[in-house]
Amino acid sequence: MRKFFTLFVEYSTWLLFVLYCSIAFLFIRLQQDDVQHKLHNEGIEFSAAVNQQLMTFNSLFTLKNENERLMRVNTDLLSRVLTLETATVDERSQKKILADTTLNASKFIMARVVDRKFSDRENMLVIDAGWRKGIKKDMTVLVPEGLVGRVTSVSEHYARVMPLIHPDFKVVVAADSCRSMGILSWNGGREFIAQVEHIPISSHIKLNERFVTSDFSTFSIRGIPVGRVVRIKPDNLFYDVDIWLAVDFSTLTRVLVAPLKIEPEKIMIMSDDTVTTNKKSH
Amino acid sequence: MINKNYLYILFLCIISLVQEFSFSRMTLFNVSADVVTIFLAYIAVTTDQKINISFGFAAGVLGGLLTGNMGLNMLARTVGSFIAGYFQTPKESHATINQKSKRFYAAVIVAGFCTNAILSAGDNPLGFSPAYRIVVFGLLESLFNLIFAFVVNWLFLRQSLAN
Repeated sequence: MRKFFTLFVEYSTWLLFVLYCSIAFLFIRLQQDDVQHKLHNEGIEFSAAVNQQLMTFNSLFTLKNENERLMRVNTDLLSRVLTLETATVDERSQKKILADTTLNASKFIMARVVDRKFSDRENMLVIDAGWRKGIKKDMTVLVPEGLVGRVTSVSEHYARVMPLIHPDFKVVVAADSCRSMGILSWNGGREFIAQVEHIPISSHIKLNERFVTSDFSTFSIRGIPVGRVVRIKPDNLFYDVDIWLAVDFSTLTRVLVAPLKIEPEKIMIMSDDTVTTNKKSH
Repeated sequence: MINKNYLYILFLCIISLVQEFSFSRMTLFNVSADVVTIFLAYIAVTTDQKINISFGFAAGVLGGLLTGNMGLNMLARTVGSFIAGYFQTPKESHATINQKSKRFYAAVIVAGFCTNAILSAGDNPLGFSPAYRIVVFGLLESLFNLIFAFVVNWLFLRQSLAN
């Protein structure tokens, strides 16, 4: 027993080290747990509140009211443009979509960017609108110029946004004229260039062509501009396309949050094979 | 001694807030200096390794609360502090101020590199390859930390290290 205690005292530093590391691993493992989630949200609340106060000093020197008025006008115009553009595309391709998901686009929520980090440790935006204002996870964040990102976590007054220029961000996009579709992602490097993959080599894509979000996306409403083609490189089966992004992330101050796209049937049919099986049996 | 630890805890809280709200924004080549690591290296050189690990763990908790990535921050800071603890200068040693300073700088470099390596391995917000993140960002951050450590040592810590 005495020997055990001697050993215990002798290696207490190592034991302490192992204990702390175990707690850390436990926290990593329980990243999605409720307690961790609450702590995470509290962290965002606190961090964003302090940042908001810091940024308020800057807003003293800007025309705050004028900006808000202009943003309101922009919101209305954007919703009209999106609806009109979608209708034009529908008419051209002679497809009548009865359940238009962009009809709710007029109900955008305005928010101010209170924190932005782009470093090797963090790459995110924080906006001053949380669940109290109706923000939910996976909502689309945009500005009149184009797509900004998607909401990844929400607290009472703030929400954290994963920007388009994050390696984990993916969205289905379509070319404006030829309607070729691909998956947009950002592979690091320059802030203003993203890549579109899986565009078939047979498609007639051109330089300077505009890309917008597609209805195939599970979270984004369609018709939001993403950027313009600046480089096309043909591969064996697909094109590798570089896009000059429509949004300048370095000057982002205000954003709009689009209402959540609710398509339970679509999600169900994509995730559940039993739907098809049941229909066959009937 | 207890009073000194309380003072360190207070300093740790202040430094964590300063790191999160000011230093993390001053990036050069997407990397910023880490003042928390410098502070932990100072504690590692001047106190016992057990106390130092606990401070590292506490720094991880604070960093996790502020950034939202609790587990990874706890692990990175604990490991960083543990390794920095090997540069401790025993109280009874007759090391000169220059020798102590050298140990402090070495602790800053090693702890900074290890902390960065763990954080880089666990999170990749800019989409760089793991090797690039660990080697280039790690070395850059260690360099920035070292420059800061030189300044801080020259201005504030020299006397404290000598005592």
